[in-house]
Amino acid sequence: MMDQALQHLVNGTVLGGTYALLGIGLTLIFGVMRVVNFTHGELYAFGAYMVYALVSLLGLNFYLSLVLATLLGVALGALVELVLLRPLRHADIDSVMLVMIGAALVLQNTEMWVWGGVAKMVPTPFVGTPLVVGPVSVLPLRLFVFAVAVALLVGFWLLLDRTRIGTAMRATFQDPQTASLMGVRVGLVHTMTFALGSGLAAAAGALLGPVFVVSPTMGDLVGLKAFAIVILGGLGNLPGAAIGGFALGYVEEFGAGYLSTEYRDAFGFLLIILVLAIRPQGLVAARERIG
Amino acid sequence: MGCCMLRLENVTVRYGRIAALHEVSLEVREGEMVSLIGANGAGKSTTLKAISGLLAPSAGRITWEGRPIGGLAPRGILKAGIAHCPEGRRVFPHLTVRENLEMGALLRRDRAGIASDLDRMIARFPRLGERLRQAAGTLSGGEQQMLAIARALMSRPRLVMFDEPSLGLAPNLVQQVFAIVREIRQEGLTVLMVEQNALAALTLCDRAYLLETGRVVGTGTGAELLASPHVRAAYLGGHAAAA
Repeated sequence: MMDQALQHLVNGTVLGGTYALLGIGLTLIFGVMRVVNFTHGELYAFGAYMVYALVSLLGLNFYLSLVLATLLGVALGALVELVLLRPLRHADIDSVMLVMIGAALVLQNTEMWVWGGVAKMVPTPFVGTPLVVGPVSVLPLRLFVFAVAVALLVGFWLLLDRTRIGTAMRATFQDPQTASLMGVRVGLVHTMTFALGSGLAAAAGALLGPVFVVSPTMGDLVGLKAFAIVILGGLGNLPGAAIGGFALGYVEEFGAGYLSTEYRDAFGFLLIILVLAIRPQGLVAARERIG
Repeated sequence: MGCCMLRLENVTVRYGRIAALHEVSLEVREGEMVSLIGANGAGKSTTLKAISGLLAPSAGRITWEGRPIGGLAPRGILKAGIAHCPEGRRVFPHLTVRENLEMGALLRRDRAGIASDLDRMIARFPRLGERLRQAAGTLSGGEQQMLAIARALMSRPRLVMFDEPSLGLAPNLVQQVFAIVREIRQEGLTVLMVEQNALAALTLCDRAYLLETGRVVGTGTGAELLASPHVRAAYLGGHAAAA
């Protein structure tokens, strides 16, 4: 009994790491830009497809492909911001939402068109036999995915907390007009924020694509889950998104383990309904707290 | 007094279809302290926002040392040497005191100069020095105002604009803020200050402009305006005798 719980805890932690990546990207974009980013799930799918293309079609090294897929996600995010969001800087939130829903549809259908509807597998250099430590077993690939996710989270936190550009981003998050009086180019911060947030989504997709399979609709559920994570942590709350990511990972793993595997994805949404009913401001108290 | 540093000529600013400033003309000379006085909604803050680039004038010219600067982004204005300490302090609440001060020096690249200016600010405002690692949002109103002033000075401006620096502060703190503004000005900085406290603003300044509903309706030295019957009646009320 205890052993099983420990196994679920490990699985939940491993899953939570990538959920945290997804949530932080989305909440950062909302916090800085007040944009509800419906393309987030598609950026996740994009990262996965890029790894597939680079590894399976171009025969590139797996690790190099992960880095390139993430960078391509950053580039796509920058492009979306410059082409779609920059002209809508002062538009109302409804118009921006509609445009982002449209952009998500275009991205998803482009994937369908380019790659077809059949799911793809990505070969990895990891062996398929699990590592066993005492009562707990975990696949080496999943362990690797978790380690990279944590490294990205730490790197991202250092960027925000310790660098000039990170301080400027946090200042813009808190008070854009006063930040501009300090000489911050708010437009540039928006482009960087969207590109970085998209890069985190693409990194999550690049990491999880090889764990599962890569398909054009993979972004749908993940996009919804990313919103769930962000709502759990409180909109625009970065530590909240990390905590929300792990919370969702645990709820899914324990729910699937003890209650029902079929309803795995439902447990997360059940949790959100509960949080919204009891604590609508999110799990973490300080709203708009960043860094 | 030096030559004309900042000049506004017939500047008009609109919020949508409503004109908030009508053909405002004023000038600030090097080393001078100029006050803008007037009631709420007279256009004082709008004037400062037009100068610092937060608002673009729809007509008129703004020149800085003869160079047109109207329509430049706030970054360009700050680079030119004009700092704007906004109304309501507007410190970044979740950045530390130190980070707020560093934001003031964002455009500077001289690390050593920034470090020595940081030390100077700490020496001048010891309360901030004790709270460098504290989030600015946890400071008292007076401390936040000191931080906002120090942050504006961290850019090493040649002209600093204060928007209602005494707003919402206890009387003893109001005196402290005005003492600091006087010091800053004695150190050679040029100051343009918006103040609702007309008595203090006119006592401190060399010259002042009186704004009413977006227009300049009077100008003169602080003493001249203090003596003006219109100013005494409309803005100084019972306090006029104290001047």
